[in-house]
Amino acid sequence: MSETRATVGRDLGRMLEAFGALPTVSAVVALAWGEFYAVPALLLSGAIPYLVGRGLVRRCADAPDPGKLHGMMIAAFGWFTVALFGMLPFLLIAWTVHLDPGFLGAPDLQGRAASTLGAFRNPLNGLFESMSGFTGTGLTMTDDESALPHVLQWWRTFSEWIGGVGVIVLTTAVLARPGSGSLTLYESEARSERIHPSVVSTVRTIWWIFLLFTFLSICILWLAGMPAWDAINHAMTGLATGGFSVTDNSIATYDSAAIEYALWPVMILGSIAFPIHYLMLRGDLRNVYADLQTRWVFGSFALGTVALVAMLVANGTYDGVAAALRYGGFQFVSAMSCTGFQSAPVGDWSAMAQLTLSGGMVVGAAAGSTAGGVKLIRLLTLLKGTAYRIRGVFYPASAVRRFRLDGRVLTDAEASQEFEEAAIVAFLWALFLALGAGVLLAVVPESYTLENVVFEIASTQGNVGLSTGITGPDMSPVAKATFLFNMWIGRLEIIPVLVALRALLTREAT
Amino acid sequence: MLDRVPIVGDLLDAGADDRVFDALLAAGPVVVAALALLGRGIVTTALAAGYVAVFALYAVAKGVGLVDYRRQ
Repeated sequence: MSETRATVGRDLGRMLEAFGALPTVSAVVALAWGEFYAVPALLLSGAIPYLVGRGLVRRCADAPDPGKLHGMMIAAFGWFTVALFGMLPFLLIAWTVHLDPGFLGAPDLQGRAASTLGAFRNPLNGLFESMSGFTGTGLTMTDDESALPHVLQWWRTFSEWIGGVGVIVLTTAVLARPGSGSLTLYESEARSERIHPSVVSTVRTIWWIFLLFTFLSICILWLAGMPAWDAINHAMTGLATGGFSVTDNSIATYDSAAIEYALWPVMILGSIAFPIHYLMLRGDLRNVYADLQTRWVFGSFALGTVALVAMLVANGTYDGVAAALRYGGFQFVSAMSCTGFQSAPVGDWSAMAQLTLSGGMVVGAAAGSTAGGVKLIRLLTLLKGTAYRIRGVFYPASAVRRFRLDGRVLTDAEASQEFEEAAIVAFLWALFLALGAGVLLAVVPESYTLENVVFEIASTQGNVGLSTGITGPDMSPVAKATFLFNMWIGRLEIIPVLVALRALLTREAT
Repeated sequence: MLDRVPIVGDLLDAGADDRVFDALLAAGPVVVAALALLGRGIVTTALAAGYVAVFALYAVAKGVGLVDYRRQ
């Protein structure tokens, strides 16, 4: 076995070992709700990845620490593998209920409940749901989420909550030893800033912040009127900017302005980078306006909301400004934070309103947060970099200039590197959006318009989860595969997946 | 005492190095369990509201320098 394969195999194994605990722990939820028939499926869903991981770790125990190429391959294959094994609870519980072994006492489901759970007997639907969960997308293969067993509602929520912070961050927090290549892996998972010099301390602090905010969000939503179970699930998926719901019609089910406004701070917390949360919790509140990205999170949420509300009022979608603000504001924050909670039928809104939401979904919120999209810092780098280049034409060639970004002063070489990185990601983002839209246009029913298709694919690749109604269990397998790919590349910001696929296909590096 | 529990101890050792936030984190599961098990009532409403209020007021007080954030 080559060193590269051994390194990738060993770290994938460690990831699967940690992952195996998640379905196993979820068995507690099945017991609490009296869904005893689901327990064997969950234990098996935990045991399989654990044993596979254990085998890989043993076989590749002497592999060297990962380099940059390995880091990207581990991140790309790791996320896909986790989604693959994350499918098991859906698949095994659906088959348990279908086969109904007498000793397990599985329920005899009828109507929509039967069709909702029955959809997961198809492994592709389970993989879709799992990938959607772990990438924090929130698009679903279910007809009626409220008809799912509680433990599967929980598994969907849990997958988004874990995925929001990151599978590698989870593994590093639990298993990593200082100096074991954790930094390479951490950076491969679309993260760059560290809170502490040590990556292990950084990820533990990320979990500390995430847990504290989760408890806080649960209390806020419960106080706004959500039942406790719903508050727990929506707090976890809202903070992770995932967007899975336990109700049939997402947040629209409650038809409550209080709940919708209570979700704003939850989604906004998820949109701010963890290092900024850390500084604010240390007492440095100036970062709300001093940090470039955080300032722009609030600024762009406000600007987008105003624009969308104006469109909704002008188009007569809603009667008054209050209703337009309630639905338009919620949907814009939900879109740009990449959460995907839905309180209104956005597929029926005007093309301009849908494209405004699509723009928010493509940009996303702060890098280093749980949000998806291209990220605000890249957009700002592109905008400021373009202006810098244009202004440079008016200076003499000998002029010494400095590019300022987020309080940093960069040399020409450093500025070029930042600009190039942002331009490459933005280009690839647009390219894969266009490719996805092209495939989708060929396979969706003709009743869906171009803006519907652009909206849906932007939502998928931005890991948002808002839907115009295209996504569902009846969608063609080609469309499902396209969405799976777009969710995957979107979560890892494309490049690690392309590097991993190249390494796999060329065998050059393996 | 919680500092000695595996994983929990590591977690409390991380974070903003602040006793109040650490206490809120440690109390979180208890508060959520109370909301889930006891249902909506005066006590649970006060508990949830208190949790949110302590966090918000303390974060602001710390931000404006009314309290010293360093753990003793």
